[in-house]
Amino acid sequence: MFATVGKDLVFRFRIGPVYVALNPATLGASLGVALILIILGLWLRRGIPDDPEAPPSRRAAFLIAFLDLVENQILGGMGEKMRRSLLPLISTLLLYILVCNLSSIIPVPGMVAPTQDLNVTLGLAIFVYLLTHVYGARSKGIFRHLRGYLEPIPVMLPMNLVGDMGRTLSHGFRLFGNILGGGIMVAVTIPVLVNLLVRFLGALALAAIPLVGGAASFILNAFFGVFAGVIQALVFTLLAAAYIQVAAE
Amino acid sequence: MGTELVQGLKYLAAGICMGIGAIGPAIGEGRIGASALESMARQPEMANTLLRNMIIADAIAETTGIYSLLVAIMILFVV
Repeated sequence: MFATVGKDLVFRFRIGPVYVALNPATLGASLGVALILIILGLWLRRGIPDDPEAPPSRRAAFLIAFLDLVENQILGGMGEKMRRSLLPLISTLLLYILVCNLSSIIPVPGMVAPTQDLNVTLGLAIFVYLLTHVYGARSKGIFRHLRGYLEPIPVMLPMNLVGDMGRTLSHGFRLFGNILGGGIMVAVTIPVLVNLLVRFLGALALAAIPLVGGAASFILNAFFGVFAGVIQALVFTLLAAAYIQVAAE
Repeated sequence: MGTELVQGLKYLAAGICMGIGAIGPAIGEGRIGASALESMARQPEMANTLLRNMIIADAIAETTGIYSLLVAIMILFVV
């Protein structure tokens, strides 16, 4: 049952003293999502007219609408300069996580959302954490940024460090837990439903299984795949933007 | 102890962990949603900002529930 959640597909080997575990399903899916997004980006880029005065084409209008959405809804509360410098990063993060989450609804055996793997989500969270330092050092200078850890009194230094660690961990665990929980719900519910049908309907179940199973998988994937996926992608990027803004101000 | 008993206790522990761990986030999210709806009814022009902040607050309140989910999964499959 849990083969579809991706736990069985791990290669373990060692390079010198380091043990490495690679999950080919996650690796392939995350690189595939990146490839899809690169192709989509190049295709959309070619649709922008050369003349800036010309009326926008359909692809350019899509880009404008998407970037407007990110700028107003996610980066709404920031200053103009900060918003401009964060827009490319945050919109890329949003698109990547969104497509990763939505890839779990593709009905291919062994296909898992890359965000069902803790390595992916924690990697993204650590990446955002390192960026908070980059943005903080760039906007305040490195010494004033590091002195922020001694506020309000120097004794609070360990507290601030632990707070940073907990924030980063919960940032990664939140996305991972939500998407993995949704995946488990979808993987567990449908076999249970089919078992119940066979037990109570007997021969009639043959007719009922495609209907009920199809409806159940549609509803479960719509809620756990699409709805929760979009909300969690939005939440991850909103929190990333908020963390970077807090460090930079 | 027999392995079957240990296996059964694992299922029991995972169920209890998830059940108790879901109480807190449920209460928290209910309160957040209730106050957000109240404020939206009072100031409909603020609805967009309120919705965005409500989703962030929901996600943060949910974190402890996600921790208990992870602990339950660890009890079932890792330990």
